[in-house]
Amino acid sequence: MHRLPTLLSGIFLVFLTSWLGLVAYPVLGLGRLSPVADADTGGTLPPVYGGQAVAGQRIYATEGCVSCHSQQVRQTSITQTDIERGWGVRPSVARDYLRDSTAFLGSRRLGQDLSNVGVRLPDAAWHYKHLYHPSSVCEGSLMPSYSHLFLLRKIQGARSDEALNLTGADAPKQGYEVVPTAEAKNLVAYLLSLRHDYPLPEAPVKKAGAGPAK
Amino acid sequence: MSENIFPHHHAEEDRGTAETRAVDASVRLPVLVLFGNAVHWLVVASLISFILSVKLIAPGFLGGVSFLTYGRLAPMARDLFLYGWASQAALAAGIWLMARLSGRPLGGILHSTLLVSATVLWNVAILLGTLAIFAGYSTGVEWLEYPNWASAMLLLSFLLIGIWAVLQFDRRANERAEVAQWFLVAAFCWFPWVYGTANLLLTWKPVQASAQGPIQSWYCGSLLALWLLPVAIAALYALMPRLVGSHLNRRNLATLGFWMLLLLGGWNGMERLIGGPVPAWMTSAGVVAGVLFLIPVVIIAINLLGMSAHKSADKNSDVEEGVVIRFLRTGIYALISIGILGALCALPEISGALRFTAVTEAKTQLWILGAISFPLFAVLYESFPALLGRDCWCASLSARHYWLTFSGLWLLVGLMLFGGLFTGLALNDPTVSFLNITSYSYPFHVLECGAQLMLLAAAVILGLNLSRALAWDYLFPKKK
Ligand code: HEC
Repeated sequence: MHRLPTLLSGIFLVFLTSWLGLVAYPVLGLGRLSPVADADTGGTLPPVYGGQAVAGQRIYATEGCVSCHSQQVRQTSITQTDIERGWGVRPSVARDYLRDSTAFLGSRRLGQDLSNVGVRLPDAAWHYKHLYHPSSVCEGSLMPSYSHLFLLRKIQGARSDEALNLTGADAPKQGYEVVPTAEAKNLVAYLLSLRHDYPLPEAPVKKAGAGPAK
Repeated sequence: MSENIFPHHHAEEDRGTAETRAVDASVRLPVLVLFGNAVHWLVVASLISFILSVKLIAPGFLGGVSFLTYGRLAPMARDLFLYGWASQAALAAGIWLMARLSGRPLGGILHSTLLVSATVLWNVAILLGTLAIFAGYSTGVEWLEYPNWASAMLLLSFLLIGIWAVLQFDRRANERAEVAQWFLVAAFCWFPWVYGTANLLLTWKPVQASAQGPIQSWYCGSLLALWLLPVAIAALYALMPRLVGSHLNRRNLATLGFWMLLLLGGWNGMERLIGGPVPAWMTSAGVVAGVLFLIPVVIIAINLLGMSAHKSADKNSDVEEGVVIRFLRTGIYALISIGILGALCALPEISGALRFTAVTEAKTQLWILGAISFPLFAVLYESFPALLGRDCWCASLSARHYWLTFSGLWLLVGLMLFGGLFTGLALNDPTVSFLNITSYSYPFHVLECGAQLMLLAAAVILGLNLSRALAWDYLFPKKK
């Protein structure tokens, strides 16, 4: 250990173990997973996102939603909580992230897990209101307001059907309306696309037809 | 050996041999610049952390402004702690310790200029990267939020600085390498590998997202356990013997600790993904590595504490201890704490209940602000008097800095542990609504603000102390 080459080779070899296991293996193994055929619709699983959702994923990244929200339903061998709380019908597996550009696994849950938020909250209008002012929808929410993703503008002619139905202190002045920007629309499209309620070969869903029809 | 490598600086006349003075003079500028910048980023990061803690009790605080939302400030603060403060201080500490331990001055003015330019590059990258997150250009990958060009600049800058530190090991005057030198060589070799691999696969040319989870966890684990922690441990091994007037007596323990730390350091990160969307064997690896990681940590701590126990046995213990030794000793306790906490959190039941709560944050804080920062503070306090050639610290500011960091850190960690425990237990009961759980953590969040304020005050005091030292040096330069 007193010669640089000896020390360096030791360091290299030891380091290689975790590098092979946690970097090379994932790249060569998990990184080559492919979608599976969906017998019901003839499409593939996980389903392909629309372009809006892909753009929305960038907003999710740049706004740092991952600092407060995770996107993983944990294995039932470790905890039942995630499924009992209704955050998913089955544990997440690597193949679920196939369509994402970044896996937003998260490490903190100041807010709920979002892997299935599209199943749980399928209404875009709810999301707009929530993003605009979270505690107006959820009393005592810690989530920050994303009002900068919205536009306050003068109503020209008829009120836009995209305008938010805001009440109380949030309501805009007479003759004005609050509409989502393209960024907000993309972000909500992304949130609505977050649904992993379909079965995969390695992650079957127990109850048949588990998607809520509400 | 160590006795004359780190001569006692308290006595004004005894400032070491001509040899160590030459070594110090050769690294003076880069080390001062690195430490100076590191401390100012520490102040900025602590300020942002304080704002974040207020936002958790009053979400509307500084609200409605895109660049001040929680989701942007949180990664900014984390990255500033990691790259602005800790990594930069580790570079400074690494260069100074390596130069001292190898007993050879840094060769020529060219090296010094090169190092200072690389340091400027590092800080420009941090500044621009931070502003980019601010402005909404974050990559969204945890701990790697800086845009690609900024991370490339960081890597380049590190290579320019780090290669020198590794080469210095080869040029050393001592035949038998010091334990601290192994840790430094290992750390300086790893950062580029770890940071380069992670950026390549996660941000520069991202692999399919199904593979990203383990790589992210590996990165977070390795950055802490294979880059920052080894530098902190090197500081402990280098400074402890001198300060307690003893020497390392169990070198074989140190060897064992060294190799085990290296072996487990990378795997340790999988603890962050126990039960996650990865093959079952990775979850098991995370559990095993997380628990086993306690072993090298305890071995190293015992090894180090052995030296200081030595001293209190034969010397009067009511002598006032210097701030350096206090930082070192707390660093060792923080080291033991991360081992124990990590091992507990890796147990499947505990991980299942607590992984997404404040407990995880407590652990990260204890790593970054405790086990890593305390030894780095010690090097800072030890190196400046040697580099500036005078007792440059204001003793009362130093003491206040120590007490505020010490109490702020343990208070913060304690609150996060308790708060996390409460929310974790509540989360496990599906009949308790999520918003109810949020309200349980409210009192903890309020107290955490206080702890963050203490840490902010500590950082500001350190900043003042350091500016004062540099200002004196500038106004009244020491005659050569
Ligand atoms: C400070 C942490 C924080 C940040 C940052 C944050 N959230 Fe939240 N989020 C919360 C909390 C707390 C809740 C629960 C209370 C509520 O519904 O408002 C929540 C709830 C939600 C919900 C409702 C989930 C459910 O099951 O009811 C959605 C959707 C959501 N957040 C999306 C986002 C998006 C998108 C972003 C990024 C633009 C984001 N959040 C950023 C804290 C945060």
